[in-house]
Amino acid sequence: MSTLATGLKGRAELGVALLLGAVGVLVFLDANGLVTPYSKSDPVGPKAVPFVVAGLLVVCAILLAINVLRGGKGEVEGGEDIDLAHPADWKTVLPLAGAFILNILLIDWAGWVISGTVLFWGSVLALGSRHYVRDGIISVALSLATFYGFYLGLGIALPAGLLEGIL
Amino acid sequence: MDVWSSLMDGFATALTPMNLLYAMIGVLLGTAVGVLPGLGPAMTVALLLPVTAALEPTSAFIMFAGIYYGGMYGGSTTSILLNTPGESSSVVTAIEGNKMAKAGRAAQALATAAIGSFIAGTIGTALLAGLAPLVVQFAVSLGAPSYFAIMILALLAVTAVLGSSRLRGFASLGLGLAIGLVGIDSVTGQRRLTFGQPMLADGLDIVVVAVAIFAVGEALWVAAHLRRSPLHIIPVGRPWMGKKDWARSWKPWLRGTAFGFPFGALPAGGAEIPTFLSYVTEKRLTKHPEEFGKGAIEGVAGPEAANNAAAAGTLTPMLALGLPTNATAAVMLAAFTSYGIQPGPQLFSSQGPLVWALIASLFIGNLLLLLINLPLAPLWAKLLQLPRPYLYAGILFFATLGAYSVNLQAFDLVILLVLGALGFMMRRFGLPVLPLILGVILGPRIEGQLRRTLQLFAGDPAGLWSEPIAVVVYIIVAIVILWPLLFKLVRRNRPVPASVVPAHPSEVLLGEDDAIQADQNSTRIHHNSHHNKEKP
Amino acid sequence: MTIVVGYVPTPEGEAALTQAIAEAKKSNDTLLVINSSKGDALVDNRYAQEPEIQTIEERLALQGIQHIIKQPVRGHDAAAEVLDAADEHNAELIVIGLRRRSPVGKLIMGSVSQRILLEADCPVLAVKAD
Repeated sequence: MSTLATGLKGRAELGVALLLGAVGVLVFLDANGLVTPYSKSDPVGPKAVPFVVAGLLVVCAILLAINVLRGGKGEVEGGEDIDLAHPADWKTVLPLAGAFILNILLIDWAGWVISGTVLFWGSVLALGSRHYVRDGIISVALSLATFYGFYLGLGIALPAGLLEGIL
Repeated sequence: MDVWSSLMDGFATALTPMNLLYAMIGVLLGTAVGVLPGLGPAMTVALLLPVTAALEPTSAFIMFAGIYYGGMYGGSTTSILLNTPGESSSVVTAIEGNKMAKAGRAAQALATAAIGSFIAGTIGTALLAGLAPLVVQFAVSLGAPSYFAIMILALLAVTAVLGSSRLRGFASLGLGLAIGLVGIDSVTGQRRLTFGQPMLADGLDIVVVAVAIFAVGEALWVAAHLRRSPLHIIPVGRPWMGKKDWARSWKPWLRGTAFGFPFGALPAGGAEIPTFLSYVTEKRLTKHPEEFGKGAIEGVAGPEAANNAAAAGTLTPMLALGLPTNATAAVMLAAFTSYGIQPGPQLFSSQGPLVWALIASLFIGNLLLLLINLPLAPLWAKLLQLPRPYLYAGILFFATLGAYSVNLQAFDLVILLVLGALGFMMRRFGLPVLPLILGVILGPRIEGQLRRTLQLFAGDPAGLWSEPIAVVVYIIVAIVILWPLLFKLVRRNRPVPASVVPAHPSEVLLGEDDAIQADQNSTRIHHNSHHNKEKP
Repeated sequence: MTIVVGYVPTPEGEAALTQAIAEAKKSNDTLLVINSSKGDALVDNRYAQEPEIQTIEERLALQGIQHIIKQPVRGHDAAAEVLDAADEHNAELIVIGLRRRSPVGKLIMGSVSQRILLEADCPVLAVKAD
């Protein structure tokens, strides 16, 4: 049981090494594709630093992979409101991300007041609150307050969307 | 004197009713986020960046300064009353502070922390005001090669020293540098890492990156691991101290300040090391050794002072050189950039009034913290009963709002989510966040400095070490990087008792510096044992 | 048979526990102590910590009472947890502590005790702290 669990964990962290390596390769390929004539005023050129960064990433990826395979493990970040005794609670995180994505899809079309309400209400729900009506009222109030606050206080016009003309 | 008159001008700016109000808001907000679980000063400043874009830069920075010091204060309150230190720098405070609170001395623990923070913060800010202009004088005499070397040192030192794994620190740094590369190269106009996406041409907005990593990543991470069993908070009235407590506190305050400021001012100092050193020192010097581990007031007074002095110290390289060494300073530096203010040694001359108003507001903020927060302590404790769903939904809500309001593009929210997921992953796999943010902020500046240097020397790499200061700095860089190897060699030749440090959470955080600790502890133990042998 | 007591670390909670112990002794029933939290905040002073639970444990053992102590943290309010436990164990009695409240305070706050009184299927004994 424990060997299986540690094996899985090790494999998950290999994903980080993979990500680092992929970003490194991407940075390298992108920089390699740049065409720059040599110029006296800029002897370094736009390629040099990306190459160094790509190198750093790839080296880190390799070393991390070796480290993980040898049993090394990143220290999971704790915090005052964090309990690491239980595994990641995807039932909370995924709905949260869902509310976030819904907001992205809605914001330009339906406007901030609606998308912000969806975001806050959805997040509160995902985080386990069960006061549906109270939460709904708070969400609408918060979205309206920020909409007018930004418009009147900061001069930033958030999109009104569907409610254009009403707000 | 020049510094004196500039500082007085700064006070004149900071004491206008509007700015005083911003200082007050900053201090209250800072303390609140310091107390609240899951929120920290770096995240708060990041969340406020877009909102403050409409403010005068001076007012915004006065508020940020209040948040910075307030967050420190709020952190100590929770570590004393709850034994859940929110930041690594208040881990040490929790050791004795929470024991004191459990023994019914919460009021005294809070008082010595608050007054000690005030004294250390005031001395630290005075040192900052005195030292920063000297550093600037020295720094403006430096050429591009030296400045390049110093930036490299700051970047590598923070990456190598902080955190428990250097490898993971460097991985995080690499990701940050890559993010910093995105956009049009300012010298040649070439598009780098934009993938043909015109919205990436201006690069990733530092506000969006900071909000994603600090706010979205953190909120998702906490949501995944919510603490299930609620804690008890120790009830507390108004903090106060008796004569005896004062007598036992004032020396630790001063010693803590002496530890904290230099460590904060050095790149890669941070507050963990000086707080721990202060704790060890107080434990050694105390007249009440029997109380240590059971709630000794010296063990709260010293580390808390060290913590705040380090916070002041951190601002020295930030203001004088444009080099941030902790997360909040990094985000404040990003704020300079988003106001179009170029950080660096020129800051004092180009933005003199702003900088001095900021320093003056640090003095004011410190005083406000003491005056407002001593009576408010019971209220702050109440804040912890805020239902979590509202807290974390609020973070996500304001993160979205802030990131969106920068450019009014839904595309920025996609970036926010992607980088938020990256922040989540980094927390899950122990990649420290600070090197990434530093990479994003300092990366482009380092590249600019490098290109300027080689431009001056017509492409001759020898130009990089053409200044003596640069050579010295590179030697330091080499030592920082090779330190673990050197240490291993030393250890092999002269075996030292492996672990004599008491089991302690901050031990893990200290990285290479546990070398120093272990040495100190072992010498102390040797000393004691000799003593014991000679006596009988 | 079982007696359910809703416990909170306050004078009212202590009074309820004391009364419940007396009842359990009289009828030789099992005592089920419920101390719950919604668990939606970092701090909840109504949720008993380890030392307090241990004290209760010892106190009950000393009195020779068969007992179960439960601390559910499931996002439900205290009333729901007590009612749930009473249902599940077929309780013959629920013991709760009452706080003194003004009519206005009652109006605004709603009440855990009121819900238990209204919804319980068995007799409810409400005690006040002295």
